[in-house]
Amino acid sequence: MKLGKIFGVVWASRKVEEMKGCRLHIVQPVSDSGAKNGTPLVVADPYNIGSVGDTVVYVTSTDAADAFENGRAPVNASIVQLVDEVA
Amino acid sequence: MYLARVVKRVISSHKHEAYIGKTVFVVQPITPQGESMGEQSVALDYVGSGIGDTVVCGGAPGVAQKIFDLKLAPIRTLIVAIVDNVDFKDI
Repeated sequence: MKLGKIFGVVWASRKVEEMKGCRLHIVQPVSDSGAKNGTPLVVADPYNIGSVGDTVVYVTSTDAADAFENGRAPVNASIVQLVDEVA
Repeated sequence: MYLARVVKRVISSHKHEAYIGKTVFVVQPITPQGESMGEQSVALDYVGSGIGDTVVCGGAPGVAQKIFDLKLAPIRTLIVAIVDNVDFKDI
């Protein structure tokens, strides 16, 4: 799991069936202090909990599909937590 | 996952049976601004995209096996969405 900051939205009306209703965000991986920590990536948001400017926790690889109720979405990064504060 | 542009189609007559009936494209990863970034890669289309489209590439180990209901699916990268627009702000 990793910390990231949402800085963009990918609008795509044509998505695969398994990803219907899920938003796609562009996320910059960040460190605990908020500094950039790697290259940005596109992350699925199965519960639509994040918006631009938010810090989130996301999971990668096979675990990302498990974040969806159907467990079958062909994604490799999913947002699982909205971060209030890293203390 | 990453943003990419569909560059060319891969045509092949001999293929692993998991690839039969599926379309394979060469994709070029791009930045949110639309500039090329990094190395090209090959992705299997799962959404009906075409050459020139901006897409989202996803997929993870074992995912293709699940969605295509195959025992063995040596497929790693899938095109999962066709992008209409990208909104972002600099951070």
